[in-house]
Amino acid sequence: METLIGILERENVEWELYWELGRGGSFRIERERLDRSQRKFHSGIGLRIGYRGRLGFSYITGLNHDRKTLEGFVKRTIKLARVSEVPFVGFPSPSKVPRVEKLYDRRIDEIPFEEAHSLAEEFASRMRELKEESTTLSGSMALAVSTYGIANSNGVWLEAKGTGMSVSAYAVKKDGKTGSGSYYQAYRSLQPFEELETAIISAIEEVRLSHSAGKMEPHSGEILLEPEAFRAVLGIFLENLSGDSVYHGRSRFSRLGEEVASEGLTVVDDATVPGGVGSFPFDGEGNPGERTVLVEDGITRSFLLDETYARFLNLRSTGNAVRDFRTTPHIGTSNVLVAPGDENLADFNGIVVRKVFGEHTANPVSGDFSLTVELGYVVKDGKVVPFRDNMLVGNAFQFLRSLRGIGRKIARKGSFYSPRVLGIARLV
Amino acid sequence: MERLIRKAQELAGRYGISYYEIRIIRVTASHLTMQNGQLEELAMNTEIGIGVRAFNGAWGFSSANDMNRAEKAVETAMKIAKLSKGDSRIYLGDPIVDRAEMRPKRSFLDVDIEDKLALVKEIDLLLRGDRVSNRSVHYGDGLREGFYFNSLGSEIETVVPRLRLGFSVTAKENGEMQSYWKSFGGTAGWELVEGIDLGHWTSFVREKAISLLHAQSPPSGEFPVVMDPELTGVFIHEALGHAVEADSVKNGDSILAGRLGERIAVEELTVIDDPTLPGKFGSYVYDDEGMRARRVEIIRDGVLVDYLNDRETSAILGLEPNGHGRAQGYNYQPLVRMSNTYVEPRDWSFEEMVEEVRNGLYMIGDKGGEVDTANGTFTFGAKEGYIIENGEIKGQVRDVALSGRILDVLRNIHAIGNDLAIEFPGYCGKGQWVPVDDGGPHVLTRALVGGLR
Repeated sequence: METLIGILERENVEWELYWELGRGGSFRIERERLDRSQRKFHSGIGLRIGYRGRLGFSYITGLNHDRKTLEGFVKRTIKLARVSEVPFVGFPSPSKVPRVEKLYDRRIDEIPFEEAHSLAEEFASRMRELKEESTTLSGSMALAVSTYGIANSNGVWLEAKGTGMSVSAYAVKKDGKTGSGSYYQAYRSLQPFEELETAIISAIEEVRLSHSAGKMEPHSGEILLEPEAFRAVLGIFLENLSGDSVYHGRSRFSRLGEEVASEGLTVVDDATVPGGVGSFPFDGEGNPGERTVLVEDGITRSFLLDETYARFLNLRSTGNAVRDFRTTPHIGTSNVLVAPGDENLADFNGIVVRKVFGEHTANPVSGDFSLTVELGYVVKDGKVVPFRDNMLVGNAFQFLRSLRGIGRKIARKGSFYSPRVLGIARLV
Repeated sequence: MERLIRKAQELAGRYGISYYEIRIIRVTASHLTMQNGQLEELAMNTEIGIGVRAFNGAWGFSSANDMNRAEKAVETAMKIAKLSKGDSRIYLGDPIVDRAEMRPKRSFLDVDIEDKLALVKEIDLLLRGDRVSNRSVHYGDGLREGFYFNSLGSEIETVVPRLRLGFSVTAKENGEMQSYWKSFGGTAGWELVEGIDLGHWTSFVREKAISLLHAQSPPSGEFPVVMDPELTGVFIHEALGHAVEADSVKNGDSILAGRLGERIAVEELTVIDDPTLPGKFGSYVYDDEGMRARRVEIIRDGVLVDYLNDRETSAILGLEPNGHGRAQGYNYQPLVRMSNTYVEPRDWSFEEMVEEVRNGLYMIGDKGGEVDTANGTFTFGAKEGYIIENGEIKGQVRDVALSGRILDVLRNIHAIGNDLAIEFPGYCGKGQWVPVDDGGPHVLTRALVGGLR
């Protein structure tokens, strides 16, 4: 990296280097047998060059290169900046980055592959033990460690290391009728075996519901969304808060301070959550990871911004530049937190939707969605009747304005934290 | 390369590995994106990497993008396979030594980046207009050069060029916003771009986005639906294609497991997956397991006749391998994937089909889809639609997703048109992204429509 910086500093350009080095082990279990194990290595450097208001970008894989290769890399990127016509508005300046706790677990970094492999074998073996009649189980487990760093001609020099683990389980029950159940979770630290067991048990619990579920009569009115289903609806809304969508006229919003949801709804993007799957001390451009209130009591308070679009919109970066070494930064979320409300929706009686799919068919600018219900259930007098295959139909903007209740208890799915929410929609 | 082949042989002996395969892939790609006249990305890059798979009753895989680690990747994959010792089986077959190059008429590598930029700018200018709040243009090309070898003695070199061009418009009026888009692509060169009537397609996209501003949300409920060839493509991809990918059959995740030879659809329905179609976006000559690509009849006259297979599923299910093991890149393990999937045409004209419908919808364009192969339920989105009343096409509708149960909807097909088109290039995700194409003629079936009315 020093050699590369030395070469860059002799050129009359602004520059930014983003480097990554990582490895991961992942394991795929099919029909309760460990079928695919893999270990991957990756590394590379992305270079952005600012030259007379224009930006050039290119990357190379690997971190160790001879001087000639590096000189060629710099020359090529400068040449691209000359022809590119991509506007360059400047790189970030150094600023203090937060210390975000629990993003790195030495146990994941140092676990021998053989040990991770045995853990996956044990996971498969526990599936064989817990498996019920006419049910097949599959799943996955992955461990990863990566280092990323950023340096630019304004004097930014940052490097961080993080670890990750993910677990999934999937159950299918078939005996004339079919049903499926699934579970997914991600973490920053090595999990005890109980977490793998939880995944299997959750998938099995869900497959029981799904197997006995039929289609429900159409309904219009109050529907409770569990966090996973709410994530799909909120995601349609959040696309409109991305700074590039706002700047380029692809968002419904052009200014902040608009009332867009019921009073109780507060949504925060927070890169500083200790141990958060989406957390980072600094983003893909070296700006500090922050806590950004996007919606406060139903009113938009901030867009999601990287350095470029913050400057275009005369705002300040919110540290939401997401990238890898192959790409230039683009705007993305870190951890999305929906604040808890004051309703006890834990023992709600009525229609509950747990999982939906097909959200990418929704229209983010109009907000209209029609999603297939993978699993829902009706709770009446303590009795639970599951359903599926209906479509959940509505408009994301109207749904957020229709919220009648926000639960007190937060559940986490990966980088999404949310309570249950009660709003108005339709099932067809 | 010779050294790596020898090293792999030596390591396989040391670790007692019965089968291994190695892919070294180099991709030379360029990407340009522009929004509202502002260039957002101009990238030209070359990447090379290695992926190694070793089999010992279960798979071990390792990859690296630093070629200094190539031998290490070979050794790691073999060590993992040795550790794994499963009881699965794979198809081996005879070694293949070949070089297959898809030659375009005019290589995009010979086109200056300035000309690619000029194309993107031209399209951006053509998309301008009243009520247009956003114009986006995306151009991407990539030449994939692959060298594959395995322990059987196969040595296959492939060269596949792929190009994709797409543009979209978002229109805005009185607080309403709507988008429309169009993509072109293929295993082709610059001649593909030169063959596009840009004037026609840019105004088509702009006018569609504007007209949708005044469209209504569709009604909801189960309706007869006439699908255009593009929507037929995504429909058959989601409703059938994923469920016949034999890894889901093998893993017990497919509703079509154990149903070969059964009539699962109306007698008129024949569905093909064909990676050998010249120039299509999902085409290839050899798959990522070194198997020659083959045309597969999935459904013939309503009967399920084959699955899409890779080396493992064909051995386990006792079927002929058909070259559908595909990987996103060197750093991914091949999975069973579709290529170019389509419904064969029959003899209905579009007008006859519309006349059949008393109260239904004519739905147009692919907005993607998703399927739950175990439960047999799928969703797919249409870009726009029209109400059909008493055999006549009426008002325009917007923002529609449809849903159905695989087996019901295949049996509910009422008419299959005579107007085949397979020209809807896209990417299909299944943990990995691979280029695919799909299509068919107009098709009349029934589906659940999720409208707001």
